[in-house]
Amino acid sequence: MARHDILVGVEVGTSKVCAVVAESGRDMELRILGVGMAPSRGVRKGEIVDLSIATECVHDALSEAESNSDVGIEDVSVAVTGSHIASFNSRGAVVIPSERLEIDEEDLNEVAIKAREVNIPTENTFLHSIIQHYYVDGQEGVINPVGLVGRRLEADFHIIHGVKTRLQNSLRCIEENGMQIDQVVTNALASSHAVLNDHQRELGAVVIDMGGGVSDFIVFADGVVKQSGVLAVGGDHVSNDISLGLRIPLTRAEKLKVDEGSALIGKSVPGEMISLKNDAGFSGKEIEREMLNTIMHARILEIFNLIHKQVSAETPSHKLGAGVYLTGGCSLMKGIREVAESIFEMPVHLARDAGVSGPKSILNNPQYSTAIGVVRFVQARMAEEEEPTLLGSILGRIGGIFSRR
Amino acid sequence: MLPYPKNEIPRASLPARIIGIGNAGVQLADRLVMNSPGLAEIVAMNSDAQSLASAVAPRKSNLGPRTTRGLGAGGDPEVGYEAAQESLEEIRFSVEASSTVILLVGLGGGTGSGAAPVVAEAAKEAGAFVLALVTTPFSFEGRRRAAQAAEAEAALQRHAHAVIRFENDRMADLSSPREGISETFHASDRLLTECVASFLEMLNGEGPMPVTLGNLLSVMREGSPSALFGRGEGQGDNRAHEAVERALKSPLLDRGRMLDDANAVVVHVGGPPSLSFSETAAIMRETSKHVPDDAHLFLSVSVTKSASSPVTVTVFGNHQGGAPTPSAQSVKTARPAPEPKAAAEFVKATKKDPPSAPAPEQKEDSARPTPPGRLFADEPPAPVAAPAPTKKTAPAKVRQETLQFEPAARGRFEKSEPTIVEGEDLDVPTFLRARPKH
Repeated sequence: MARHDILVGVEVGTSKVCAVVAESGRDMELRILGVGMAPSRGVRKGEIVDLSIATECVHDALSEAESNSDVGIEDVSVAVTGSHIASFNSRGAVVIPSERLEIDEEDLNEVAIKAREVNIPTENTFLHSIIQHYYVDGQEGVINPVGLVGRRLEADFHIIHGVKTRLQNSLRCIEENGMQIDQVVTNALASSHAVLNDHQRELGAVVIDMGGGVSDFIVFADGVVKQSGVLAVGGDHVSNDISLGLRIPLTRAEKLKVDEGSALIGKSVPGEMISLKNDAGFSGKEIEREMLNTIMHARILEIFNLIHKQVSAETPSHKLGAGVYLTGGCSLMKGIREVAESIFEMPVHLARDAGVSGPKSILNNPQYSTAIGVVRFVQARMAEEEEPTLLGSILGRIGGIFSRR
Repeated sequence: MLPYPKNEIPRASLPARIIGIGNAGVQLADRLVMNSPGLAEIVAMNSDAQSLASAVAPRKSNLGPRTTRGLGAGGDPEVGYEAAQESLEEIRFSVEASSTVILLVGLGGGTGSGAAPVVAEAAKEAGAFVLALVTTPFSFEGRRRAAQAAEAEAALQRHAHAVIRFENDRMADLSSPREGISETFHASDRLLTECVASFLEMLNGEGPMPVTLGNLLSVMREGSPSALFGRGEGQGDNRAHEAVERALKSPLLDRGRMLDDANAVVVHVGGPPSLSFSETAAIMRETSKHVPDDAHLFLSVSVTKSASSPVTVTVFGNHQGGAPTPSAQSVKTARPAPEPKAAAEFVKATKKDPPSAPAPEQKEDSARPTPPGRLFADEPPAPVAAPAPTKKTAPAKVRQETLQFEPAARGRFEKSEPTIVEGEDLDVPTFLRARPKH
């Protein structure tokens, strides 16, 4: 566990590996010292499919971050994702022994363990148990039950779990580089730490981290994590759609998406054509702009529809006062905000990392938000540990499983 | 573009005339009559009465019926010249009252080599813009023919405004070796007729951006004698693109690479009334990529009345380098003959035309391969090679594409774990599945 104030966050994404080295100051101040980014290979839909190549990419990103920040990296915290990651809300309950009246921290730990006593597939392991609410003798809205008098303590947790072996693979490529894993955090949780402040959490917000291979989302309501999830569809799918739809090579589809594409339809001049150039600068083909946008629109619309369906099933929209925050590389796509607004029917923001100081070019780039979020998450954890509260001790378990492996 | 009075430069107001001279010329003229009827008035001129009799050109002139007795010039340019002199009145009658005279000549023989310069001179005196499209003999036809061709070309240079030369030695390289001989000749004839047709289109086409003679001449005169030509047609949704691609694919342009050292290029875009600005812009963008930055680029656009006509792109340029390129074609610029008034008028007009750049006389200097001192010298820049023309520009292959209809088109995700949500495989493009539900 990183005892010093240097924090390193790594995201092994489908399209790139990002490493952020930051220095934690007092009052939760966070200063970015350096970043490293390397194009990612051997990763598909957020999961490792070729360990040795992915290890190399991680090495490139880490050594770039090391030289940029002038810090030797030993411990890193990692963001993980993948379609196997699932979540649910669970309630645990303990009965306080009658010889004792006050609720103590031991009870809090116990209730957290009870909450995990649910059936998850045997190959799965817990990633996070995030406290939502405590109930003392059925009384709602207890924030800190330590010291309160009661007979029965209940607690709601948001539990995130994933397939153990697949998570281990994600960590392997970092360990292979001789690094110690400090903490493991899901992409969605990390991103939310990067883009949301306490006020927005309290108001309620949806954070959607659209990366290359996956789209992670997390829902905050009443200041706590209400839902989270992973949809294994991302920017690569958009490129793939373009490639299949327009019959052009994938690399060119990717470039076309970034340079010309928009998720909005009906905005281009009818019949407007885009000519594609091949390597020799010779034009290979001409395609209609509206066609390109239609393909992209269909995919983006579908992603938001699927997420919206999940969100609205559990969280009413009036609980989401702050609206939707988009981050991740795919959020750079033109018109994506408007599409999201049309689906969610609430304000949609392109999230920027607030409360972090460092080079503007990094902070304004949503591609780094997950890695920054990892650092923020670790920082928040450290702050809780220094001043061990009940909340902290429970959160302290998060990731513990993997730091031991 | 400055307008200029029509009476100074006869353009569009008077009909264009195409004159095929000699056996090869008459054959080409016939091809034009058959391929593009109504393109222009076509005249066949030969000293061989038999060849004239079988020609389909609407107008025929038998040159020198007394000199040759209708038996042809027998490969002797002197005889051809005599014959032309004898029929000078008839020639003058053929060329009068026309704006543009295009001569089709196969050099190296008797009638073509001997009579063509006479016809060019007469046409120029009559005030027409004279363009000569010549083919030079194959090298295997011997030095004698090559020398006659060179001499005739030099003479043509003096009288015609511009000479475009097709070196037919290259023809064999351009068509597949196994192709039948008539196919090969067909293909080369097609190229020549396309060239003629596109020149007429450029000169006579009506449209928002006509090309001026000045533009054309500055292209033919600037730089070295060798010129580049490509033409393509396109139809359907992607027509602009197809057309420019085919034009650049022309064997004479070496897939656009030959344009790399061009120093002046005319791009002519012809099309139906539905031709859009963005299509034109796309064509120009595409072409300009292959043209050096400092080269003159002239755009001309003409619009036909027929809605079904294809978009045609004609790229015509010249080479900077002094040495003739291996390209099958090169252009020799015409020096204005010292006396003819048509040339004087012409010079005036080109001077008025801003894009056509400096005085044409000066350009001619540079256009000549000979040193400036020999500007008006008689000997031509010795072209060698024989008749047969070159292969047609890239054949427009229309291939019917089969519609890809695999229900599970997953592309790069083919081998990855499928992402199934609500019974749908999300790796398959959304637009291929059912319309998204709201």
